[in-house]
Amino acid sequence: MKHKITTVIMILLAAFITLGGTTSCKSKKRLAREAAEAEYKARVAEATKDLTAILDDETMWTLEEKENRVQTIKDWNLQNAEVDDLLFQVEKKLARERAQAEQKAEEERKAAEEAAKAKLPKNMLETNLGKIAAAGGTTQANNLINETLQLFESNNVPVLIIISQAGGFNDYDRPTTIENYLNYVKDQKVSRNRVANLKFNENGKITEVELIKK
Amino acid sequence: MKKILALLAIVLFVGGTAMAQEEIDFERKQAIDSLALEKVRDLSKYIKIVGSKETAWSEANRVIDRAEELFMTNAEIGVSSLHSTKIKYYKVRPYFEHLMRLNYDRVEIEWYNIEYVSDLQRQPDGTYVGVITIFQTFRGYDKEGNLAYKDTTKKDITVYVKRKETQIGGRMIGFWDVLLGDMRVKETANK
Repeated sequence: MKHKITTVIMILLAAFITLGGTTSCKSKKRLAREAAEAEYKARVAEATKDLTAILDDETMWTLEEKENRVQTIKDWNLQNAEVDDLLFQVEKKLARERAQAEQKAEEERKAAEEAAKAKLPKNMLETNLGKIAAAGGTTQANNLINETLQLFESNNVPVLIIISQAGGFNDYDRPTTIENYLNYVKDQKVSRNRVANLKFNENGKITEVELIKK
Repeated sequence: MKKILALLAIVLFVGGTAMAQEEIDFERKQAIDSLALEKVRDLSKYIKIVGSKETAWSEANRVIDRAEELFMTNAEIGVSSLHSTKIKYYKVRPYFEHLMRLNYDRVEIEWYNIEYVSDLQRQPDGTYVGVITIFQTFRGYDKEGNLAYKDTTKKDITVYVKRKETQIGGRMIGFWDVLLGDMRVKETANK
């Protein structure tokens, strides 16, 4: 009798554990599924919000930050038609922005290169003007003039001297040539003007000089 | 036909009056005043270079070319002497050639007190005209290095400043052309 009771109890216990466990497992799966669904919905909402903001230029993100955000959304692999459509549009927009940024960077690089190229002859010209003015004699001054003329396309390169910039436009002295101007500095023994602008030909030789009163 | 001519005359008159009335502001006027004074100072340096016996002939000729460009065509430069009451007037190049040939072993020429006696005034044709006065001290030395002659002359130089345009690098450049007119001797003293 005692053995029977024990067996019944064991059977009931096993049934209880089995049934109870199954119920608990089903509940956990449901919860996990609900959590996954909620997470998916949240990600779709977040992706839609961010992609729309990028598309409408309503973010403060840099281009790199926008590109990173798009990559993250793509990695989520949401497989949502609306998100996919937005992704397509945003990727096109960012590709355009990337091309523009690269073009701008290239233009800036070229401008910096040009400025660096111009800086060398400009500094050299400024220095030589000072040296010509301070030359100890005619021979020394003439040697400096010949050396300086090597920077120019020809001895007749025009030299414009700004005497005033009042009223928003330039007033010039009578234009001269670089050879005459260098000799003028030699004769007057003073360099009264500084170099404002230089123009160059494709060989890097100066083709026009603009000076301004110091 | 008469009506057309009358209309044309009115247009030309009004246009001309408008141009003549075009005034420049104070800052620009100051820049032009300074530019004209600078040209006179440039001339003083050229006279000094050409007058110097140490200047090579080729250099002197180059400088005379530059000096000529400062003057109006047919401008004259007065030369006086303590030995004569007459004032001789030379055209620019002959003046400089005369200066080169002076019979001294060494010559010193200094200009000072360069200033306006009559400010630049706008004329009806748009040219600004003024008079700048200068004092020139001349010293001539003989072979022994002794001072052979010395005088101080006051001279008046008429200056003309006109707005002109020229094309450079495919664009029009407006510039102020300063030209010196006659240089008249006002007084000569043994100072």
